[in-house]
Amino acid sequence: MVKTVLTALVSLVLLGGAFAFETVFVERRFDAFAAAVEALDEKVREETATAADAEAVQEFWEHEKKQLHAVLPHGDIGYIDYWLAEAAGCIETGSYGEALSKLAVLRTVCEQIPASYGITFGNIF
Amino acid sequence: MGLIFLRTAIVFVALLIVMRLMGKRQIGEMQPFELVITLLIAELACIPMADTSIPLLYGLVSVLTIFLLHQLLLLADLKCKPFKAALGGKPSVVINKNGIDIPQLRKNSLDVSDLIESMRGAGYFSLDEVAYALYEANGKFSAMPREDGPREARGSLPVLIVGDGKYEEKNLALTKTGRPFFDAVLKQQNIRSLRKVYVLTLDGTGKVYLQCRGEKFRTFRVALPEGCAW
Repeated sequence: MVKTVLTALVSLVLLGGAFAFETVFVERRFDAFAAAVEALDEKVREETATAADAEAVQEFWEHEKKQLHAVLPHGDIGYIDYWLAEAAGCIETGSYGEALSKLAVLRTVCEQIPASYGITFGNIF
Repeated sequence: MGLIFLRTAIVFVALLIVMRLMGKRQIGEMQPFELVITLLIAELACIPMADTSIPLLYGLVSVLTIFLLHQLLLLADLKCKPFKAALGGKPSVVINKNGIDIPQLRKNSLDVSDLIESMRGAGYFSLDEVAYALYEANGKFSAMPREDGPREARGSLPVLIVGDGKYEEKNLALTKTGRPFFDAVLKQQNIRSLRKVYVLTLDGTGKVYLQCRGEKFRTFRVALPEGCAW
């Protein structure tokens, strides 16, 4: 009886801890990445963005995604990789208009992925 | 992970309700919630293991959720009697002193042939050999023999002739009897319609076990036609 109560409490604490950690961790990572994408977007609008700027954002994302792999489906991470590479390619060739549309996709993804982990009716079902 | 917790809990509860509604037929030796856990846990552990695009944590959280639910249900099972009955079900008495309890049998999605099969498994070959028979909450079959039970030698296996108002054609052929023979037997017993008969069995000594819907069972002997043996 004591053992059952104890194990139930321990698993409840572990699950609660994992849930809180995931929420905070994913939100923080995506907040930081969204800020980097936003800064790049500003530069692209001003047509001052360079290949080095795009590479810096890519490097930043490479660092972030190493930890995110533990909690996000790898498909979601691959999706960001794809759009970031597209945007970097456009910046490198000076196609700022196209780069803006790719960055717009990235900004949306940065909002959608953390939101898809929230406890809402739509997400549960 | 909160989502996975909730989704796992929802699937668990939904499966548990379905298992309870399916009756004892689907359960064997396990409580419904134990069976649900057995069904879920292998799959939950297997998917993240085989699909490398899903973080392993998803599987671990699901398994831990199942463990937590199991422990909570175990506590409720020990501490709360009404909850225990709602969760695991109650034993169903399917044979009493009046014979087969037809509503109880139906409630558990069983028919008379399932009952006869369970009785054979418990070592009873004739329906009148037991005073009480029940399906336990875990689906196990238990029977209490009658004090004044039939002691005669078993000539051959009693076979089901009429089950739920319908003739069992295979058994009619096996016993080398026919519908006219049993129509006459039923007429002799003042039974006008075959649909009224819930169960009629016949053994090699000519002993008939007959139970009509809403009535107590009766046993009697008939003279078997010549060449009727199995």
